[in-house]
Amino acid sequence: MTRRTALRSAAALPVAATATPPALAQPAIAPPTEQLAERPLFGAVSWTMANGLRVVLAESRRVPVVSHYLFYGAGAGEDPAGRSGTAHFLEHMMFKGSRNVAPGALSLAVAREGGQDNAFTSRDVTAYYQTVEASRLPLVMRMEADRFAYPLLPEGTIEPERAVILEERNQRTSSNPRGRFWEGFEAAMWGPQHWHGRPLIGWEEEIRAITLGDLRNFHERRYAPGNAVLVVTGDAREAEVRKLAEEFYGVVPARPFTPRQRAEPVPAAAEPRFVQHDPAVREASFMRSAMAPSLTWGETRHAWPLELLAHLLGSGAGSRLHKALVETGLATSASASYDSETVGPGSFSISATARQGVPPERLEAAVDAAIAALLQDGPSEAEVTRSIRQLTAGAMLSLDGIGAAPRMLGGVLAIGLPLEMVEFWPRYLKAVTREQVAAAARAVLGQPVGTTGWLLPGAPA
Amino acid sequence: MTGEQGFSLPIQVVEAGGISTWLVEDQSVPVVSVAWSWAGGAALDPAGQEGVAALAASLLTEGAGSLRAVEFGDALRDQAISLNFSADRDSFEGGFRALTTALPEAVRLARLAMQEPRLDADAVERVRARSIAAARRALETPRGQAVRAFWANAYPEHSAGRPSGGTAESLAALPVEALRAALARQIHHEGLLVTASGAITAAELRGLLPALFGGLPSGAPQAIAPLPAFRGFGQQVLPVASPQSAVIFGQDGLASSDPDWEAAQVVLRILAGGGFSSRLMQSVREQRGLSYGIGAGLDLLFRHGVVIGSVATENARVAETLAVTREEWARMAAEGPSETELADAVAFLTGSMPLQFTDSRRIAETLLMLRQNGRPTDWLSGRPARLRALTRERLVQVAARMLTPDGLSVVVAGQPAGL
Repeated sequence: MTRRTALRSAAALPVAATATPPALAQPAIAPPTEQLAERPLFGAVSWTMANGLRVVLAESRRVPVVSHYLFYGAGAGEDPAGRSGTAHFLEHMMFKGSRNVAPGALSLAVAREGGQDNAFTSRDVTAYYQTVEASRLPLVMRMEADRFAYPLLPEGTIEPERAVILEERNQRTSSNPRGRFWEGFEAAMWGPQHWHGRPLIGWEEEIRAITLGDLRNFHERRYAPGNAVLVVTGDAREAEVRKLAEEFYGVVPARPFTPRQRAEPVPAAAEPRFVQHDPAVREASFMRSAMAPSLTWGETRHAWPLELLAHLLGSGAGSRLHKALVETGLATSASASYDSETVGPGSFSISATARQGVPPERLEAAVDAAIAALLQDGPSEAEVTRSIRQLTAGAMLSLDGIGAAPRMLGGVLAIGLPLEMVEFWPRYLKAVTREQVAAAARAVLGQPVGTTGWLLPGAPA
Repeated sequence: MTGEQGFSLPIQVVEAGGISTWLVEDQSVPVVSVAWSWAGGAALDPAGQEGVAALAASLLTEGAGSLRAVEFGDALRDQAISLNFSADRDSFEGGFRALTTALPEAVRLARLAMQEPRLDADAVERVRARSIAAARRALETPRGQAVRAFWANAYPEHSAGRPSGGTAESLAALPVEALRAALARQIHHEGLLVTASGAITAAELRGLLPALFGGLPSGAPQAIAPLPAFRGFGQQVLPVASPQSAVIFGQDGLASSDPDWEAAQVVLRILAGGGFSSRLMQSVREQRGLSYGIGAGLDLLFRHGVVIGSVATENARVAETLAVTREEWARMAAEGPSETELADAVAFLTGSMPLQFTDSRRIAETLLMLRQNGRPTDWLSGRPARLRALTRERLVQVAARMLTPDGLSVVVAGQPAGL
């Protein structure tokens, strides 16, 4: 998995705890590595159906397997006010049957065919997918299209499913000190009722408050063909996919939908400082997050340079934070992360785990010094060149396996970015200059809107 | 790779320089993965030196030959080579994935790592600190504590009962000489199992093997002590402040050489396997909403399978969850699966085989696991037919033989009510 696909799947909640290995795509003939920049990575084709559904096909005959993903351009970021967790709750309820498919029958049918199915909710999208032997594509298309148009959302299943979701929340967050911290940190930075500050899975009290009407409403307003992207990858031909898509998805009625309307971020962090003591924690951890432009919001020209900045600052051995914190014995690990492919403002984050006995303020001062040095002189030409090389060298590895293609394609298209950003992503990084990285660093780290926090062992003060 | 006869994966046996390799060639993407292992790993850690093999394995990619840690790391990342070494409970493994253009560099670096690791003092201290932090972090969650306790209870007095990565205390005390000794015990020419997959021909692989492994010390690693019998321990509660309890449950399974091995896999798939279809998932999650998920399966160590499962539920409902689990365990032991369940499970296990062989690294690792368990090269191609030949009667016998509902060993970490 390349770094980019790893980012894409990092913040998503699957419907079932048993994460299935993801799904597929490669061109039949391997292009030589050097030509990558000139060739599209997946060679996908795309068209839009009469009802507004966008279809993307990336063909690969490497294995007789096909992946079928339906992305909706609505995620936890679209949860109504006071009802965080709605998108995710609906994702669970979509497995409770549709007009022509009995509750649970989709998953059972896919398993009966040796396939895998699951779904996930991120802040930006909700996606449902199946990976099956190539000849089973019509079966999964029929069932997915049926729940697209006519989900049952049966009243009797809502309470047991609410209990499942509350247990999921307990498992991910409440029983994990780092989950608890991360949730509190995001709320501190963006505000607990801001779309970026709410947990994807929802606040516990709001999960309890969600009604069937909320779920039906979300489906009605967001799950429309014009707000969805169908991604098929693997062993399937264009003519056949066009025919099947018409047959099964062509009958899903076109209807108006509510486009995303993400609130603008607050001008300053809700809480610039967030310190949490937790008796379960054994290793003190530092986290700093700054609001950052993305490819869809703000000064979008900074987005690709910020990807490079994250690499040269915190990608392990050789990076600036590693030198400043790990090689000096202040931290056991240090990293920086940023995802440009997101709706609205994103975060540029720095994190580190302190070594035993190192006072938090010493580590934090070293972070400050490293950033000050970077802002003062900017990155070196060698750092930028090496970062570009290391980030792009493995681009073709996403062809080795079936999971990367549909997630990269669907994830980008469902947030309104062009196909080229997946097919030619190394090209965008290779064009970035040292000056652009320096400017992006100044914009995001120079006068940051953000939060600095610590997760510390011990009882709350 | 599929058809009326079912799934098949063409495996070539390639020999060179006294090393026999299994290869699945696939020229469709310019990527090659190679995986290798020796029996050993944590099983060779001397008493008081828990984690020495794992720490030594991590250090192999932290500087070798004339390259210090950062230079070695940059050499890998500049060409997007992933090279990893690890020590598990019963094996020491290495492997890489690289684009074909980077293959010579991957071989050079992997060889350097095995034959000339530097173990520079600064790298040792840095990686030691990282490993200690990881060992401590593993115990931050109820689940982490429950898993640790399960194995410690099941195999007291044996390395299988201890964390293969070591503990904060054992790692802190390891001198660098112990790390060198661990590598010297482990890395030998004999006892090496090698597999490869991807865009490489048999002839090319024959050329690669001596470049990668030639010159390793002769002889074999020291033999590992056999796994003692699984010790059932009833029920243990670990008090952990948490709204939800993590539960790890299990029992002894059977040897991977047991003729009932595949039948047992089918029984466990029906009882507790992946996805929504298992009896436990239906009873615990779908019908009662007790948990986000529940599952169990065979965990293989020392060529022996242990049945281990996990579930998490709010403290007030742990007793109910365990009662439902035991009930399903007992029902399967008493009655076995239905004909429909058998057919569905076999359809899934045979039909899903192509999905498991879609990337070169996973193919190489799967082949390696087959070799570690002494399977023949036609094991995979014969699997669909063997699975289809299973009858309900056979599964009833296997379920009755294997599952011991009264002998389920359970660790609960949390604040469970009424246990």
